[in-house]
Amino acid sequence: MRMNETEKELIDMVLSGRTEAFEPLVAPYRGAILALAVRLTRDREEALEVAQEAFFKAFRSLRRFDVSRPFRNWLFQIAANEARDRVRKKMREQAAVREAAGRTHDAGGPEAGHERRQIKAGILRALEALSPREREVFVLRDLEELDIRETSRVLGLSSISVRVNLSSARKKLREAIRRQDPRMEEKR
Amino acid sequence: MTCRKVRKLVPLAAGGDLRPREAAAFQAHVDACLACREDLEAFRAAMAGIKAAAKAESVGEWSEGEWSALMARVAAAPERAVRPAFGARWAAAAAAGAFLGFLVLGILFRGPSPRPGKGPEETAMVLAAAPGPQERVAITMVSPETGLQVVWFLDKNFDYEGEQD
Repeated sequence: MRMNETEKELIDMVLSGRTEAFEPLVAPYRGAILALAVRLTRDREEALEVAQEAFFKAFRSLRRFDVSRPFRNWLFQIAANEARDRVRKKMREQAAVREAAGRTHDAGGPEAGHERRQIKAGILRALEALSPREREVFVLRDLEELDIRETSRVLGLSSISVRVNLSSARKKLREAIRRQDPRMEEKR
Repeated sequence: MTCRKVRKLVPLAAGGDLRPREAAAFQAHVDACLACREDLEAFRAAMAGIKAAAKAESVGEWSEGEWSALMARVAAAPERAVRPAFGARWAAAAAAGAFLGFLVLGILFRGPSPRPGKGPEETAMVLAAAPGPQERVAITMVSPETGLQVVWFLDKNFDYEGEQD
């Protein structure tokens, strides 16, 4: 997916000071960026903050955008970096809280208990069980359908690292499927 | 390629992510090995289920209020928020270079100095000679302590064009 002429024109307008051109430039991606953020952070409120910050950073850094790249992937890159920072921070905070409280955190409530009975919820929980890096790679390659090269570029990883994490993520998810519902592996 | 090696590659092969050379050897093996072929097909079916479930997950949508608040934040950002191409540090360097360019040109337009000029080895700043109309200005700065030289190039409008160490 390459950048289209309209996007180039809108970028030029923003860079020349017409900030009102930013909204039509990014509006087509607002759903995709929020979805990516939700999938990476596994938290809607956190994801909204990630998406907002990503768009604002995109505005601030627009002059550094390489027009030979797809604009969508550049936005993905900013959002993935933002999500990674927040996920790491959250993990550190949770670890500190657990340590201070001396007990593990139980996220399950009545609604969570209901969800656990569903296969789909099981898969989504398996997504949460992936490491942040595995989840990033899986989301970008398998859900957003970027190729290995673009995935590695967006995440700032080598293609070898992308392949290793992708393989590991898919193995873990398959194991989750086996535990949840072996029938899903039956031939179609 | 052995069955063991093939099983290790199945997760990548299921998404078509093997390198071409690996893919050829992998395909040759699964064409001939029923157990590995079934393993690959089962993995592909599992992946299809995972993708479908993950893509169907509700991720919510922006409320108009949230989106409007973001756009208002962008609109309220100072003009300098859209950063210059070569960064704030280089912008400062360009500004300094332009200032020095004006200074040097001012000296030139006054004509030659009545005093014997200092040699380049004694001065910290030299204007590069340019034939014909002045289209480009080069400012050379020399550190008397380290000998390090930096040349700034400015166009006729004194816009920063680049530098050379």
